[in-house]
Amino acid sequence: MLRFLARRLLVTLLVIACTSVLAFSLVHLSGDPAAAMAGEGASPADVESIRRLYGFDQPIHTQYFAWIGKILTGDFGRSFYLRQSVITVLAEHAPVTAKLGLSALVFALLLSIPLGILAGLHRDTALDRFALGLAVAGQALPSFLFALLLIYIFGVQLRWLPISGSATWLHFVLPSVTLGYYAAPALMRLTRSGMIDVMQSDHVRTARAYGLPAWRVVLLHALRSAIIPVVSLAAVQLGFMLGGSIVVETVFSLKGLGLLAWQSIQRSDIEVIQAILLLIALIYALLTLLADLLNALIDPRIRIS
Amino acid sequence: MTAATLTTMSPRRLALHRLLRHGSFWFGGGAILLILLVALVGPLFTLDPVAQNLGARLVPPVWDVRGSWAHPLGTDQLGRDLLARLVDGARISMFIGIATVLVSGLIGTAMGMAAGYFGGRVDLVINFLITIRLTLPVVLVALVVVAVVGSSLSVLVVVIGLLLWDRFAVVTRSATQRLAHSDFVIAARAIGSSTPRILLVEILPNIVGPLIVVATVEVAHAVLLEAALSFLGLGVKPPLASWGLMVAESKNQLLFRPWLIAIPGVALVTLVLAINLLGDALRDVVAPEGRA
Repeated sequence: MLRFLARRLLVTLLVIACTSVLAFSLVHLSGDPAAAMAGEGASPADVESIRRLYGFDQPIHTQYFAWIGKILTGDFGRSFYLRQSVITVLAEHAPVTAKLGLSALVFALLLSIPLGILAGLHRDTALDRFALGLAVAGQALPSFLFALLLIYIFGVQLRWLPISGSATWLHFVLPSVTLGYYAAPALMRLTRSGMIDVMQSDHVRTARAYGLPAWRVVLLHALRSAIIPVVSLAAVQLGFMLGGSIVVETVFSLKGLGLLAWQSIQRSDIEVIQAILLLIALIYALLTLLADLLNALIDPRIRIS
Repeated sequence: MTAATLTTMSPRRLALHRLLRHGSFWFGGGAILLILLVALVGPLFTLDPVAQNLGARLVPPVWDVRGSWAHPLGTDQLGRDLLARLVDGARISMFIGIATVLVSGLIGTAMGMAAGYFGGRVDLVINFLITIRLTLPVVLVALVVVAVVGSSLSVLVVVIGLLLWDRFAVVTRSATQRLAHSDFVIAARAIGSSTPRILLVEILPNIVGPLIVVATVEVAHAVLLEAALSFLGLGVKPPLASWGLMVAESKNQLLFRPWLIAIPGVALVTLVLAINLLGDALRDVVAPEGRA
C-alpha cells in the first residue's frame, strides 16, 4: 500500500507540474498579452511599458519559471484589473464555489443513492426504467437551459426562491440543483449496479436467512459494500463540478471562482486566469488521488497492478 | 424469429437484427436525420437568418394571437426571423458536432491503439496524457483559448476536438489490448505483416463497434459544449445563429417572452436527446453483454 501511495503521489505531482505548464502556455498562446491588457486605443508606448512591467519581453520559459517560482513561495501575482493580490481575490471567491460544489454534491447524492438503490432492487421494472430514463433525458438538457428553466419555474412563476446572488443559503438551492443534477446519473448507475451485485452475495443472503427485516438487510448490509465505489466516484465528480461551475455561477450571478474566471477572461486579467486554472486542476488532481486511494483500500488488486 | 434461426445468424446480421428492433434507434436516428435534412436544405426555404428588421421586432410565434405566418416562430430583439435562425443553428450544431468528433476521434483512436498495442512505456506515457487531459477543466480551458486566439468556427472545432479525445483513447486502448494477443493478430504477425498493417487492417475493423458508440456520445458532448461556450459569449460569433447564442441573446426576455428561449432550447434538447438515444441503441447492439 505504501509503494502504491508513493507512486500515485509522484504521478499526481507530475500531473500538476504539467498542468501548470499548460495553464501558463494557454494564456500566452497569442504570444504577447500586453496588447490585450492595454486595451483598445492604447499607445504603442503604453503597450511597451506594460510589456516591460509584466516581463512579457523575456523569453517564454524564463517567464514560466519566474511565475512558478513565485507560486511556490505563495505569491500568485497581482490582478491588474482589480489592483489586489491574486491570493486576496481567490480567497474572496473560493468559499462561494466551495459551498456551491459541496451542496451540489449533497443534492446529487440525495437524488442518486435512493434512486440507485430502488432501481437496483427492482431491476427491469417500470421504476428502474424511469430512473434510467431520467438519467438519459437529464444528460440531454444543457446546464444553462436547466438553470433558466429552474429560474422561470421557481423564481419567476412560483417566486419561491431567489435567483441571483449568494447572500443566504436559499440563494444556493437552485444553483446546487442545477450543478448536482449532472453528477447524479453516473452516481445512480454505479449505486444501481453495485446493489445488483451485492444483493446476490453470500453475506446478504445470510443476513436475509437470519430473517432480518428487508430495510436492515438493504441499508446496513448491502449498501455498506455497494457505497464505497460511489463515494470515490463522488470525489471525482466534485472535481468535475468545480470545473463546470462556471456556467452555473454566471447564470445565477454567484460570485465564485467560475464567475471570476469568466470575468477575468473578458478583462484579459491573466494572472487571475492562470491561478484559477492551476487551482482547479490541483483540486481535481487531489480529489482523483483520494478516489484512487479509496478504491485501492477496498480492492487489493488495484494496489498490485 | 425463433431461437434457432437467431443462433445460426452471423454476428453482424444478428447485430443489425437487434438494431432494427430497437425503439431508441428509430426515434433517435429519425430525429437526427430530420435535423440533418433541415440543416442541409432548410436554408433554401427560410428567410435570411441575419437580416434585421427593426420595424418587426419581437413578433410572437404564429400560435399567439399577435403572430403571423410571415414569421412562423416570430422574430428576435433585432427583428431577425427566428425560424431562419433556428435552421441556421441546426447547420452549426451539426457541423460542430461532426467536425470535432473527426478531430477528437482521430487523436483519441491513434493514442488508444498505440497504448493498447505497444503497451509498456508507450502505454504509460499515453495514460499520463489522458490523466493530464482529465485534470484540465474543459469549459474553462476552451473559454481561455477562444478568448486568446479569437473565435471562429474552425478555432471552435480544433479546441473542442483537442479537448474531447479522452474517452476515445480510453475505450480504444482497452479494446485494442484485448485484441493484441488474439490468435488472428499473432497469425498476422507470424506471416510478416507490418505493424501499421496489423493496426489498420486487423485491429481497427474489429474495434469499430465501440468506436461508433463513443463517437455518438462525443457528438452530443461537442454540441453541448459549443452551446455552452456560445451561451457564455465565447463560442460562435454573432451574427451567426447558434442555439446556445440564441438562448444567451434572449436571456433577459425570460420573464415576458419565454418562447425566445424555449424554441432554441427545445431544438437543442431534441438534437442531443436523439443522439443519446441512438448511442444507447448502438451500445445495446455492440456490447450486448453490458445490457442491464
